[in-house]
Amino acid sequence: MSSGKILIIGGGPAGLEAARSVAELGGEAILIEKRIGLGGTPISEGYAKLTHHWRDASEAMAELASAVTGNANVEVKYQAEVKGFSGSAGDFTVQIEANGKAESLNVGAVIVATGFQHFDPGRATQYYNYYSFPDVITITDLEKMLKENKVVRPSNGETPKKIAFIQCVGSRDRQIGNEYCSKVCCGVASKQAIELREQITDSKVFIFYIDMRMYGYWEPEIYWPAQEKYKVNYVKGVISEVLPKGNQLLIRGEDTTMSRPMEVTMDLVVLSVGMEPSAGTRAISQLLGLQQNKYGFIEAGGASGIDPVGTSKPGIFVAGAASGPSDLDDSFAQAGLAAARAAAAVRKVLA
Amino acid sequence: MPTTLENWNPGKAENRHPEVAYEVKERLFLETKNDPRYHEFLYGCYECGICVSACPTARFYDYSPKVIAQAMAREDVERIYDIISEDIWNCAQCFSCVRCPRQNNPGGLVTILREVAVKSGLQETKDVLQGYSRVIYKVMLKGNQVSPDMLQPDLFADWGPWVQNFSANMPIWKKAIPVDSIRGVTDAAWKVDRKTLLELYTIWFETGSMEIIKEVDEGLYDLLSDIMQEELEEG
Repeated sequence: MSSGKILIIGGGPAGLEAARSVAELGGEAILIEKRIGLGGTPISEGYAKLTHHWRDASEAMAELASAVTGNANVEVKYQAEVKGFSGSAGDFTVQIEANGKAESLNVGAVIVATGFQHFDPGRATQYYNYYSFPDVITITDLEKMLKENKVVRPSNGETPKKIAFIQCVGSRDRQIGNEYCSKVCCGVASKQAIELREQITDSKVFIFYIDMRMYGYWEPEIYWPAQEKYKVNYVKGVISEVLPKGNQLLIRGEDTTMSRPMEVTMDLVVLSVGMEPSAGTRAISQLLGLQQNKYGFIEAGGASGIDPVGTSKPGIFVAGAASGPSDLDDSFAQAGLAAARAAAAVRKVLA
Repeated sequence: MPTTLENWNPGKAENRHPEVAYEVKERLFLETKNDPRYHEFLYGCYECGICVSACPTARFYDYSPKVIAQAMAREDVERIYDIISEDIWNCAQCFSCVRCPRQNNPGGLVTILREVAVKSGLQETKDVLQGYSRVIYKVMLKGNQVSPDMLQPDLFADWGPWVQNFSANMPIWKKAIPVDSIRGVTDAAWKVDRKTLLELYTIWFETGSMEIIKEVDEGLYDLLSDIMQEELEEG
């Protein structure tokens, strides 16, 4: 039976924005979320501030969530997962399990917003020893400490004075299989470097990079202030390995500007881990029969190839990091477009 | 010296001037950084290399305006000492590097570094400027230019292997090819009006130029100031 309802899978930034947009367009949305609450990765990973106007992540996500939960046109189901899927555009049957209870939904269109997960640095081809040295952490680990305004060396609880970021961990690497750029890590590391300089005023912060990819306004808003105002040191050249030295960490790399190899000690090493498709994104692609790219993200582009929210199946749209590395700008923009496309698709069927 | 937070620099594995105390190097750096022009000459560097590609010196020498900007930005005290004791004298001060998209001015940084080097009377600076004593003498005292046969061949390696030849043969060549316009210039150049000369001497004293020369070559300073003061008194 044809349905005018739109199913949104995933309650992170893209899913929430899609649900809000569908409702604002006068449509009816069902949003299902695997976790117990909304907000997605920014909440589950404890993000502190967003690169977006330095908004507090919890506050910004709560605003978005309340716009959805407070809307009569959106039904939110928590601890819910898709178990079965059939039908075609205008008439999909979706078996879900919500709160341990099986349900069948009839919807006209689907928006997949199942997001990404951070790269696991245990898989890095370089020798960063994330699982061996407590003072080697990731940007997500650091984000949690920044949120508490208490950045310490996990090994001894002391305040770190020399801190190094290593960029492109798990990105742009043929050996790992992630040949793509994860897009946000340059901005996130630079944002965190600024926060570190604010929270630990006598610290020295270094960012070791291959290319700094500070597209658009990140250049004047994040990168240049980090260098010019906060005196963050950007050193071109990636670190090959992290080794113990006394109670510090020795990092090895090339300082390409000065064209010489370099070996220096740090108190804290932060790995700028990239994005990979989340387990949910991989699973939902299989269940819905969506074409994935070689990295496991949902292939976007649609039939025309230029539709950023189209998938290989009519009536099913994708928004946010489920189709590839995205920042919040990308995710929100895609979510709005996916909502418009989905609303148009069900209107066509109902007409 | 052990690597500490204060002296660590990411660009240099070794310390090329261990005989110079870190405090001395740091003082030179701070003097440079505290120059009022410094903050207009250095913002931040993203390694685009436009300054290097525009730099005529970088084509021929182991010299990079990017390294200078980056070393200053990193506050790399050890490397800045290398730069102040050597690299700054490779710069032609042509300021081709000011096309920097970040609006840095590596040539301007070199200007400040040179002034700091001279004011501090660094031995390396004295060595580098040694060959210029005769040039300075000529320009400041006579108010006119230098001719090739004034060059002391051993002190101008950057003129290449020809300088020896030029220096040795110039007088003969001049005689062999008597060109009116050049004749006379080789040994005396043009004559500067006495009033102009006295004004120049006054300028040298009033602007502090003489004090700078005193730092790098005291003998030359004594010679110049004796003659100039005598001339000024005569009026």
